[in-house]
Amino acid sequence: MIGSVGAPDVAPSDASLVERLRGGDERAFEEVVSRFYPAMLAVARGYVGSLGVAEEVVQEAWLGVLQGLGRFEGRSTLRTWVLRIVANIARDRAVRDARSLPFSPSDLEGGDPAVEPRRFRLTTEPFPGGWRSFPKDWRLLPETRLLGRETLDAVAEAIARLPDAQRTVVTLRDVLGFGADEVCEALDLTAGNQRVLLHRGRARIRAQLERHFDE
Amino acid sequence: MSEPQDRASGYTCREVVELVTEYLDGAMRPEDRTTLELHLNFCDGCATFLEQIRTSAALAGSVTPDQIPDDVAEALRTAFREWRSA
Repeated sequence: MIGSVGAPDVAPSDASLVERLRGGDERAFEEVVSRFYPAMLAVARGYVGSLGVAEEVVQEAWLGVLQGLGRFEGRSTLRTWVLRIVANIARDRAVRDARSLPFSPSDLEGGDPAVEPRRFRLTTEPFPGGWRSFPKDWRLLPETRLLGRETLDAVAEAIARLPDAQRTVVTLRDVLGFGADEVCEALDLTAGNQRVLLHRGRARIRAQLERHFDE
Repeated sequence: MSEPQDRASGYTCREVVELVTEYLDGAMRPEDRTTLELHLNFCDGCATFLEQIRTSAALAGSVTPDQIPDDVAEALRTAFREWRSA
């Protein structure tokens, strides 16, 4: 029954978790569910429209995880493996619901520049390509303002408003602290594509924060 | 106001703002990174912009992630018990 879980390439914490899950340990299940839920939801929401459908996808994914536990070999972390299951189910669901798939080339081509072009001098002007007026130094804001509730709400709102693919990558990378490699593995993205999505998402958040602080 | 970068020797500010994520991820080639850092040294506008991007990412890290709703948790618990007893 142990199979390859005891293999040296499986992280000890992953190995013991998988063993406890296979043994029907409900507390282990509750532990992984609450730990992985934010990331699983973020991945699902990248592909499907509504929060409700994303929650359904996550539930379906958990069934897939339980049924597939015997096949987990530790070639990736448990977390990455779980997220790939979510992505696969979400993709299938999106296709079934006839939604266009994000993380696709058309999602990545074109796209808005990080900063509105009018913020920069034209090639016909002196100092071409330079700032017309510098962005403001937020470190000069009182700390209570910079780190206060209203600012955090503005950031949360900015994230919620991002296009699906950008929101997923920003959530995994910046909200949840995933590394670039794991995001690429979970979502089947090249490093470059993952970075483009992160860049655009962060640029939008920055722009929204700029408007927020200017008020 | 800072000196503009000659096109042959450096980036314009408009180009710099598209490179910040690559820079922060340590994904630039060394020579490009040096070119960028030279620009940042002399351009307060871009240095401030980079700091704003860093701050935006850091603030995102303080956002509370979605926690699992009770009804979803309950449904999963039920599914687990059914799987376990199968």
